[in-house]
Amino acid sequence: MQSLLIIASDEWRYWSRSKLGAAAAILAFILICVSVFATTNQVAAEKETREALQLKAEEIFRSQPDRHPHRMVHYGHYVFRTPAPLAKLDPGVDPYTGTAIFLEGHRQNSATFSASYDGAQAGPFARLTPALAYQLLVPLILIIVGFGAVSREREAETDRQLVTSGVTPVEIWGGKTIALAALAALLLIPMLFGVALSGGAPAVSAAFLGSYIIYLLIWILMISGASAWCKRPSTALLVLLSAWIALSVLAPRMVASAANIAIPSASQIEADMDVLVALREVGDGHNANDPAFARLRANLLEQYDVETVEELPINFRGMVAKTSEEQLTAILNEYAEKRMTQQVAQTDFVRALSFFSPFIALQSASMTAAGTDIRTHHRFLREAEAARYEFVQGLNDAHVEKLSYADDLNRNTSKEAWRKARVSSENWRVLQDFRFSPDTASERISRMGLTVGVLFGWALVMGGIGFIGARRLSEVKNG
Amino acid sequence: MTEIALKADSLSVSRGRVPVLSDITFDVSVGEVFALLGGNGAGKSTTLLTFLGFLPPRSGSVTVLNKPVTQNVEFVRQKSAYLPEAANLYPHLNARENIKYFLSLAKVPRSASDIEAALDEVSLATEARGRRLSSYSKGMRQKVAISLAILRQAPVLFLDEPTSGLDPVAIDEFNQLITKLSAAGTTVLMVTHDVYGACQIAGRVGLLKAGSLVGVFEAPEGGQISPEEVHRAFAEGA
Repeated sequence: MQSLLIIASDEWRYWSRSKLGAAAAILAFILICVSVFATTNQVAAEKETREALQLKAEEIFRSQPDRHPHRMVHYGHYVFRTPAPLAKLDPGVDPYTGTAIFLEGHRQNSATFSASYDGAQAGPFARLTPALAYQLLVPLILIIVGFGAVSREREAETDRQLVTSGVTPVEIWGGKTIALAALAALLLIPMLFGVALSGGAPAVSAAFLGSYIIYLLIWILMISGASAWCKRPSTALLVLLSAWIALSVLAPRMVASAANIAIPSASQIEADMDVLVALREVGDGHNANDPAFARLRANLLEQYDVETVEELPINFRGMVAKTSEEQLTAILNEYAEKRMTQQVAQTDFVRALSFFSPFIALQSASMTAAGTDIRTHHRFLREAEAARYEFVQGLNDAHVEKLSYADDLNRNTSKEAWRKARVSSENWRVLQDFRFSPDTASERISRMGLTVGVLFGWALVMGGIGFIGARRLSEVKNG
Repeated sequence: MTEIALKADSLSVSRGRVPVLSDITFDVSVGEVFALLGGNGAGKSTTLLTFLGFLPPRSGSVTVLNKPVTQNVEFVRQKSAYLPEAANLYPHLNARENIKYFLSLAKVPRSASDIEAALDEVSLATEARGRRLSSYSKGMRQKVAISLAILRQAPVLFLDEPTSGLDPVAIDEFNQLITKLSAAGTTVLMVTHDVYGACQIAGRVGLLKAGSLVGVFEAPEGGQISPEEVHRAFAEGA
């Protein structure tokens, strides 16, 4: 063990004296600190803003004066997804999916206010999140600093000097691996602070941090392993940079393309057109005379044993609105579920292929732990839709029960009639408070199982390859 | 009776599929300087690397301090100091740091004054000792490597072309040092192209040609091996 630490500390001395390595490590550290600080503050500010906006939206809705209930259905209401604590480190799909939905009758609006629009012109790296920094940048820095850790000894034949000093080849590799691990640990400090200050549940925070530790361990073992296998540092650098490009840049895109081919999904326009066609089958909820509601009319007349809708003890127009909402919501939900099922299937397809790349495995594990994955977003959409349906139907109930059919029908005949066709603003209390929170820690951790397993598998394989490479160290070149 | 420190017995070694050493036998007594001479590809470095356990014998055996190398690699390396041709030390460290580093790995504790004394012994200029080895000449690096060997107090010293690239003064200083170490009981096996240098310090000189030991020359009592004789034998293929 002592030899390992001596070798590791000498490697640090080498890096500190090699301007390139030291500069790269310092630059990366600063960049990560800035990224953690900036993203944490930004997400914290967004959280505060969204919470405030949510309260404001609820207050505005409930403080509306007496109105016709259907006006309130169209007045609508906003719900906001407040980010989970660990979203400060990995915003996941949030910047792309939108974080607020305008809820109104007869429609399921898409989530809006996605941060990606803000940085679209600067490209995908406009927002260097801590997650992206650790997934892409840190492995690259470790490669730049550590590619020659073992192969440098081999090229200069100092490995033999070390071996004749009583150090085993595996100890040389082990010492270099420890040096790289110490550097990675240093670079992980900003994330450690970020996690500690995020306020996330301890178990899921540990799982989040743990997945990054395993991921960086994979790269450390890959770097020291490649360095042990390659006789020249330049070859090791080439191998490692190729691996970085293949695993972190190409593989995720290839797997995503494969997912799109394997599980094709309709474009938004196609999906919207399909929904529109399906909705045409449902009658117009604003028109009580729409033939689509003839059956409803007949049923109600029969139920209340009356001849005309005017004789009904309830507002037929309200019933039409309520029934129409129920029918179109069923259709909208069917298409929304179909779309979400496809998205989840694509995500699961990508996750299943994560054994091709630790980057894919970590990305999935990280977003799941942070509560910023597509499933969490879908839950937000479902909860928002449930809230929408509940308040719209609550207003339709007020329309049915608290506004007479006659007043409703005559509302445009005079100012007085218009004033009469209102219900009390007390009815706006049908709107429930909307507070979105991510899945429980245990649910998120259980969803991380596969990807964390993949990461462990990669670490074991890389460790094995490095160990075998180390045993070849100080072998005499033949020829 | 003279104690044997190093022994190659019917040793044959291949590098890859290429046979390099064929059935060579020799031994080196404790405190003796034995030089192996030969042209390029004769198998000199291969012999050293086999003694150090970096190459396995195809047949035959090598022993260091009476222990078979293949079964006692760690022991052999613990008891040996190895000076490769390029004096492979770290260019990012200075002389003192290099020595401290390798001594700490070899678990040989030495004080700062011991290190200075060893550097004095090899006549490395005091002002150079704090400079990184990247600014050293080959001779200076060689001196640091020898200081390390002195400090390790290894009973066996393996030298690979130790004087190649050194100026005549440095060669002289080096030869004196080796003679001194030998007199102190260190066994030295060196491989070299330098016939005159080898004859000056070695008690015996072995001549390797195409992987075979074709002759061994012994210094007369109180004298030196004749370089002309070795040269002639070398030219004639022994």
